[in-house]
Amino acid sequence: MSYVHPEYLVETEWVAQNLDNPDVRIIESDEDPLLYALGHIPGAVQVDWFSTLQHPLRRDFLTKEKFEEVASKIGITNDTTVVFYGDKSNWFACYALWLFQYYGHQNVRIMNGGRLKWEKENRPLVKDVPSYPETTYRAKEADKSIRAFRDEVLQQSNTKKPLVDVRSPKEYSGELISMPNYPQEGATRGGHIPSAVSIPWAQAVNEADSTFKSPDELRALYEGKGVKSDGEVIAYCRIGERSSLTWFVLKYLLGYPKVKNYDGSWTEWGNLVDAPIEK
Amino acid sequence: MKMQNLPPKLQEIVDDFAGMSREEKLETLIGYAETFPLLPEWLKERRDNMEPVPECMTPVFLFAEQLPDGGVHFHLDIPAQSPTVRGLASILANGLNGSTPEEIIAVPGDFFLPMNLQEAVSQQRLNGFIGVLAHMKKEAVKLLEK
Repeated sequence: MSYVHPEYLVETEWVAQNLDNPDVRIIESDEDPLLYALGHIPGAVQVDWFSTLQHPLRRDFLTKEKFEEVASKIGITNDTTVVFYGDKSNWFACYALWLFQYYGHQNVRIMNGGRLKWEKENRPLVKDVPSYPETTYRAKEADKSIRAFRDEVLQQSNTKKPLVDVRSPKEYSGELISMPNYPQEGATRGGHIPSAVSIPWAQAVNEADSTFKSPDELRALYEGKGVKSDGEVIAYCRIGERSSLTWFVLKYLLGYPKVKNYDGSWTEWGNLVDAPIEK
Repeated sequence: MKMQNLPPKLQEIVDDFAGMSREEKLETLIGYAETFPLLPEWLKERRDNMEPVPECMTPVFLFAEQLPDGGVHFHLDIPAQSPTVRGLASILANGLNGSTPEEIIAVPGDFFLPMNLQEAVSQQRLNGFIGVLAHMKKEAVKLLEK
């Protein structure tokens, strides 16, 4: 068995062969934003989830107009193949990819293994920040079919449809309110959304080189917990970053037709008055 | 903004940052990350005895060595994959090294507010920064109690 949409994944060797391809733009998105400055794949640009992709005031993503500015500045057109990679098993690379899809960019890829694999293969990292001729990028209206809001999540929970909680087991059980080592990005209540199953996000990747697990392993992992491809699935974590990796796995590697990422996640749900919680 | 009770080196760093643009702050943090000192050999074997800082998302270990003149020298062990954490912890070590335990304990917990670090790093990084400072103070208290 192979991945259902293998075209959304490229290997490091493919990236190495396409560094000068004008139809390809490589984007680094990291959990630690200084990594890019210390060395990145030649020709890659940086898109930071925190300083670039968030709305400056509201708890939301940047507006469509701002997204168009960002995309124009990195010189991509609607047809450019955009390859994302990053640290921490491509966790924030998947987040950036999800947001590019949210604003309608279809031609996206993840570089399997991310920074870790590229470094382990001793491939070149440079400090030169490239610049590309600015384009006039036109984004599409936000694609709400990949983003879940709290009312839908409540509906999903009430009707006992699958929700995937990708946080650590202790967050799921309610012992911890925030992720181990991330204090204060928390919630006033601990636990999980009723009907959610616990499948920590990192179980989808191989620890040694950050690549995704095999199709069979992935299918066993999610189907084994009752998360099947028929019907709608919603993934969540703490702020929607870890669950964007799970979203990518379910949607593209396993080909589930209806998967949404709930970016409000536990920092919304665990603070929401009257929201049902299980421990 | 002048704060009381800051060791001169730390005050200098605070003043420098206060006048920097966001880009300059990031560049300075990168500079600190690039010159981050490696753990000395004699401490490598004692790595398990170092103080872990659980507030940080990255494994951070610190060790406080008291020099013959009474000044404290902090040794840090932070992975290269986390340059922001290295940079922030380095600011503290550079600003506090050479100070006495009393001076370290007297540093106000919010001394860094004039630096406007939140322009350059996210809130969770600042929490880690605050955590490292708290542990440095804890180590200073231990040295005093010795």
